[in-house]
Amino acid sequence: MVRGSRLDQVLVCSGLRKAFGELQAVDEVSFSIARGETYGLLGPNGAGKTTSISMVAGLLRPDAGEVTVLGRRLTPTAAAAKSAVGLVPQEVAIYPDLSARENLRFFGRLQGLDRRELDTRTDEVLALIGLTDRAGDRADTFSGGMKRRLNIGIGLLHRPELLILDEPTVGVDPQSRNAILESVEDLATDGLAVLYTTHYMEEAERLCDRIAIVDKGRIVAEGTRRELIATIGEHDLVRLEIDGDVQAAVEQLRGLSELGSVEVEDDHIVCLLAGAARRLPALLGAVAEVGAVTTGVEVREPDLEDVFLHLTGAALRD
Amino acid sequence: MSAALTILGKDLRLRLRDRSLLMFAVVVPLGLTVLFSLIFPDEEGFELTAAVVDADGGQVAGGFVDGVVPALVDDGVLTRVQVTDADEARVRVADGELDVAWIVPEGFSAAVAAGRPAELEVLVAAGRTLGGEVAVGIAEGFAAQVEQVALAVAVDAAVTGPASPERIEAIATGAETAPEAIAVAELVAGEEQRLDFTSYMAAGMASFFVFFVVGTGVLGRLEESQHNTLPRLLASPIPPAAVDLGKALGSLVVGIGSMTVLVAATMLLLGADWGPLTGVAVLVVGLVLAAMGVMALVGGFARTAEQAGNFQSIVAVVLGVLGGAFFPIPGEGVLVELATSISPHGWFLRGITDLVATGQVGAVLPAAGALLAIAVVVAVPAVWLQRRSWRW
Ligand SMILES: Nc1ncnc2c1ncn2[C@@H]1O[C@H](COP(=O)(O)OP(=O)(O)O)[C@@H](O)[C@H]1O
Ligand SMILES: [Mg+2]
Repeated sequence: MVRGSRLDQVLVCSGLRKAFGELQAVDEVSFSIARGETYGLLGPNGAGKTTSISMVAGLLRPDAGEVTVLGRRLTPTAAAAKSAVGLVPQEVAIYPDLSARENLRFFGRLQGLDRRELDTRTDEVLALIGLTDRAGDRADTFSGGMKRRLNIGIGLLHRPELLILDEPTVGVDPQSRNAILESVEDLATDGLAVLYTTHYMEEAERLCDRIAIVDKGRIVAEGTRRELIATIGEHDLVRLEIDGDVQAAVEQLRGLSELGSVEVEDDHIVCLLAGAARRLPALLGAVAEVGAVTTGVEVREPDLEDVFLHLTGAALRD
Repeated sequence: MSAALTILGKDLRLRLRDRSLLMFAVVVPLGLTVLFSLIFPDEEGFELTAAVVDADGGQVAGGFVDGVVPALVDDGVLTRVQVTDADEARVRVADGELDVAWIVPEGFSAAVAAGRPAELEVLVAAGRTLGGEVAVGIAEGFAAQVEQVALAVAVDAAVTGPASPERIEAIATGAETAPEAIAVAELVAGEEQRLDFTSYMAAGMASFFVFFVVGTGVLGRLEESQHNTLPRLLASPIPPAAVDLGKALGSLVVGIGSMTVLVAATMLLLGADWGPLTGVAVLVVGLVLAAMGVMALVGGFARTAEQAGNFQSIVAVVLGVLGGAFFPIPGEGVLVELATSISPHGWFLRGITDLVATGQVGAVLPAAGALLAIAVVVAVPAVWLQRRSWRW
């Protein structure tokens, strides 16, 4: 599902594989990201998101496949390709004993920025992440949200073409989280390609132009939010709250034709079906047949959680 | 290279801000040196309080009593106390009032002149080990010149040493001539190659703590992993080896820097004797390189920085004790030799001792060579172990 010509692509990954012993952490992962596009890897913990990103950033050698950035193959010694990438690691990667400004300047120097660029970019980034007032303070005096912002700022300092953000909102209070999401939205409008990993469906829905749903090292579906939801078909989601033998009711419902899927989620039964309003009586009838009583019904449009459930049979969040 | 220097600069900045490093590098070793020299006051200020009893009055005795002893008094090594006879000297040494006494017995000069065995008695008060050795050394130096004089050394006023047969030899015709006064420096340094206590502690403590000082830097990637900054460094457009190079340089600079501060501080504040500074510099560089190699090797077996720190501490303490960083390993023999030979601390202390004893820079060469050899021998497996972290 690659859009535009290959030249438009900032990042192209093809056939990435990585195993740790017996565990196939990443299995045939291929995707590409165009200029100005925000691409999401959405998957639960352990799906292989960080491992994939480590290969994209040249930190980990793929067992198979390759990564090209702006048409150049990315390896640990490919300086030009690496310069085009800004990495924001999942764990906050800053020196607590250095100030915000010192952290920025150190990593800026490693990126090869000259003195003038270093001065101007440091000030710009400090303003962007809202740390101008605290620039001289040691990072260990910062709140969790401030550290996260500094973590992102360092990745942006050298004006990369591709920014990789690995779960940047984990462990962040709602206010800082919102600030981070807003700044990511701004970055994409500036033409940056963004690779964003998360296990929060809402973040992927809000930020990403395209989303890859990742599970057990594989991309199980890829596309825009609309396209992904369409993989379920023109289906609605019906949630039944019942009083009685849930398992028997599920068996009975599975017997009905035209039902996309029937799963149990938190003691509720979740069914996917087309034309829900018309078929609701049949569902309730099936529940009644096994002697259970329906105590609540909810019909809504499916979201990415439902897509994930539908594709993998498991919940996105545990 | 510029990336390595950037990382070096960052590490130095972090080290300077790290209170615990300042403690390990300077405050604790200096404090311990001061503490130890307070607990064990330097006997070798050589303010020996001594008496000489000349029961002989002859010409040979005069060479010692009127030649050697006044020279020692002039050099400020001795404070001479007058006593009337040998018995008074014995009592006052036994009381600890005198540190040492030399007794030239009646008939000493005549015996020497006649080629008969002659005995020079040295009395040492209990507990004046170092002072006693100096007193014996002075007497030995004199005896060596007169050849046939045997020494009778009495510690705590109990006579222990009988005259040794080798010393009783035929009369040298020139023996009547009173021997020249013997220079004290020669006597002390020539006979007993050891540092004064403060200098020994200063060198011991400095060598002990430098292992901890260089420890974190040589962990390189493990240390960066602690801050999660390793991915960020490796994702930068720099050669991956620059990370390791920069961190190793940091260890080298901090190790040499902290040793330099300690050498200067112990010299200026405590009067420690390190010998010619060029020689000290050679030994310091050798020691820091050996310490880096050993700590890198030990750290190579660890999975986390914390684990590495624990391994390193154990090895640093064991090698320090074996090398005599806290106190000289007592006794002699193959095992002691072996123990000090595998310890960089041992070689460093040996080098400083030789340097101070001879005053010659060249005297450090064996120790410096040994330190470099240790550095190379441990660096090879250390690099081999680290190689797994260099794999992309
Ligand atoms: N260095 C490693 N050694 C062994 N297993 C690893 C390593 N890194 C990741 N894994 C395993 O690979 C799987 C994917 O991990 P990861 O990429 O971190 O997932 P995510 O980022 O999606 O949470 C997990 O099962 C994890 O335990
Ligand atoms: Mg992850």
